[in-house]
Amino acid sequence: MAAAGTCGTGTRSTGSVVAAASTNNVTSFHRRGPRASGADSGCSRLVSIAGTRPSVRNGQLLVSTGLPALDQLLGGGLAVGTVLLIEEDKYNIYSPLLFKYFLAEGIVSGHALLVASAKEDPADILQKLPAPLIDDSYKKECDEDVCSHKTESDVKMKIAWRYQLLPKMEAGPVSSSRFGHYYDISKRIPQQLIETSKWHGFFLPEKISSTFNVEPCSLTSGYMKLLQFIQNIIYEEGFDGSNPQKKQKNILRIGIQNLGSPLWGDDICCTENCDTSHSLTKFLYILRGLLRTSLSACIITMPTHLIQNKAVIARVTNLSDTVVGLESFIGSEKETNPLYKDYHGLIHIRQIPRLNNLIYDISDVKDLAFKLKKKLFTIEYTLRSYGIRGQKYLLSGHLRKFAVKKKPYLRRLQTLKNIY
Amino acid sequence: VTPSEGVRRGSGRILAMLESLLALGGLVLLRDSVEWEGRSLLKALVKKSALCGEQVHVLGCEVSEEEFREGFDSSINSRLVYHDLFRDPLSWSKPGKVLPGGPLEALKALDKRTGSGPVTIALDSLSWLLHHLPCPTLCQTLHALSHQDSCPGDTPPGEQVRVLGLLHEELHGLGPLGALSSLAQTEVTLSGTMGQASAHILYQRPRQRPTHQTQWFSILPDFSLKLQAEPLLESQPRSDPHTPSVDPTTHLTFNLHLSKKEREAKDNLTLPFQFSSEKQQALLRPGLGQATSHIFYEPDAYDDLDQEDPDDDLDV
Repeated sequence: MAAAGTCGTGTRSTGSVVAAASTNNVTSFHRRGPRASGADSGCSRLVSIAGTRPSVRNGQLLVSTGLPALDQLLGGGLAVGTVLLIEEDKYNIYSPLLFKYFLAEGIVSGHALLVASAKEDPADILQKLPAPLIDDSYKKECDEDVCSHKTESDVKMKIAWRYQLLPKMEAGPVSSSRFGHYYDISKRIPQQLIETSKWHGFFLPEKISSTFNVEPCSLTSGYMKLLQFIQNIIYEEGFDGSNPQKKQKNILRIGIQNLGSPLWGDDICCTENCDTSHSLTKFLYILRGLLRTSLSACIITMPTHLIQNKAVIARVTNLSDTVVGLESFIGSEKETNPLYKDYHGLIHIRQIPRLNNLIYDISDVKDLAFKLKKKLFTIEYTLRSYGIRGQKYLLSGHLRKFAVKKKPYLRRLQTLKNIY
Repeated sequence: VTPSEGVRRGSGRILAMLESLLALGGLVLLRDSVEWEGRSLLKALVKKSALCGEQVHVLGCEVSEEEFREGFDSSINSRLVYHDLFRDPLSWSKPGKVLPGGPLEALKALDKRTGSGPVTIALDSLSWLLHHLPCPTLCQTLHALSHQDSCPGDTPPGEQVRVLGLLHEELHGLGPLGALSSLAQTEVTLSGTMGQASAHILYQRPRQRPTHQTQWFSILPDFSLKLQAEPLLESQPRSDPHTPSVDPTTHLTFNLHLSKKEREAKDNLTLPFQFSSEKQQALLRPGLGQATSHIFYEPDAYDDLDQEDPDDDLDV
């Protein structure tokens, strides 16, 4: 499905052509551009929003997901106006971490936050965000790991030596700390950072009325209220350009936790053929419409392992832009697999959007695993555990990129020449 | 593990199992089946929390009040506050002692009561409630019930609300079971072999990895718990570590092992794309001023470096 729209770039000129025709000009045809707008500085405003940067590939405005490794996997970051869907792992241990990273990144970059949950009070969620790391302490953590892995990697990279550079997924703390920060999970975010940030909370048990009527309308009442809340915030705070903001333009980061679980009033996890089966898909459709017309980015965690009807999962994936699935090894047979002994789970990049593009930006290596260390959540390729045989197998799929078979072709032609 | 060792280990934990089930707070899900019933475990937990001096509320839907109170002595019975939905679930009789409004109102009434101190609420059973209420509504109500403390952060263990729910897992599909399991902080699945009941307990502490353990137990007539040792499985011998594992490579007609010399020879073999380390470094880190990509070609032994273009011979 072609991605429509330009994700709320905000370069719509404020004046119409007729209005811009000043008396000096002969014709009324003016180039619509940043010059036509009035006091605003024009498209240079885009880059000057804190915590964002344009994509190097297609110029899309990106925000960081809070985890620089994930940013790299998604092609630089999460595009403004899109939805990042996280498929929760079975016991919901690791997906809240990604959720918290996203929100913490918003606070550190100075974005506005909107946190919606049916399980936990948003104020509590904000209290538990991880603390941002200063550059030096992260480097120390990184070096410790590099030393422990160095001896192994030298031995093993005999055949797949071109992959030596590959496992270094996190390129270290970005020198200019404007895009992508590192966080320490063991510490909580300082209170003053939360207080200086602008956040809105939506806690479903408070908002929903005491009557538990199942309304006959197509959207569950919880979803309807959430959509209205988001729409109000976007309109009032001016994220869609409707009320011209006096201050600098800012990004709204929306985080919705456990969407689709029974706590939202949706029985998509309870039965296979439910009456409100289209409620979730309609919600996502309307939400994406809201996001496309405003400067916002959204993260949603969804317990897809509980959804009974697999067709719904496929629809939900199609309606989201970026989909990342987490699979933890707890309780599964992969826990004892020696290949995965260093890791806590696998991370699957299920979908990446093609925004104003014809091709995807994802890397070819698909074996990604994550590990929750004491302070950090890291994503790595599982390449290190491969033996020589595994490296050969990996290489055979990639050989077309590296080998130049010039000579054997010529030799065959040579033989032909000799015969004739 | 000899039986006596097991019992000795178990006796140190006789109280620990019930306490650990009650300690975590929140929703404790007891999944039972036709063969291994869970009501006696539920009553054992109710008795334990009553003995600890807590308020206990019981919402009875499946069995009558007399049957539920049977087996408890008077001190415990005086602590139990019984809300009866069994006698008149649809409230057909005139208002008297009956709870109006059906099960949902009964649950919400439990939610609203202002009690101080730790409270245990026993729901007998969740299966009955699932059949009378839509699943999302029940989940929302249970969540509100088990998270009654409005103060954020860690509450002192004495102030917790515990909801014990009995669920007959054969009556429901995977959907409601999964939904309720995701809500529960502790999940106990009852099973057993050869007449001995066992409980597989899964603890889901917040922000920590879930832990599980299996306990063999039996419930005495006065609803106190007795831990048992694991029964020796005679019918199914597990893999015996004493028998030596058979090496499948011993009697083959071809050789799968490498001797030391062979291994050295293999390591010394230069593979076709294994370049010298300088060249590797040069390829990995392109030097300055290399705007275009280069093709590095190392001829192997059979190549002749003939520079003439074979396309010259073509008559095109």
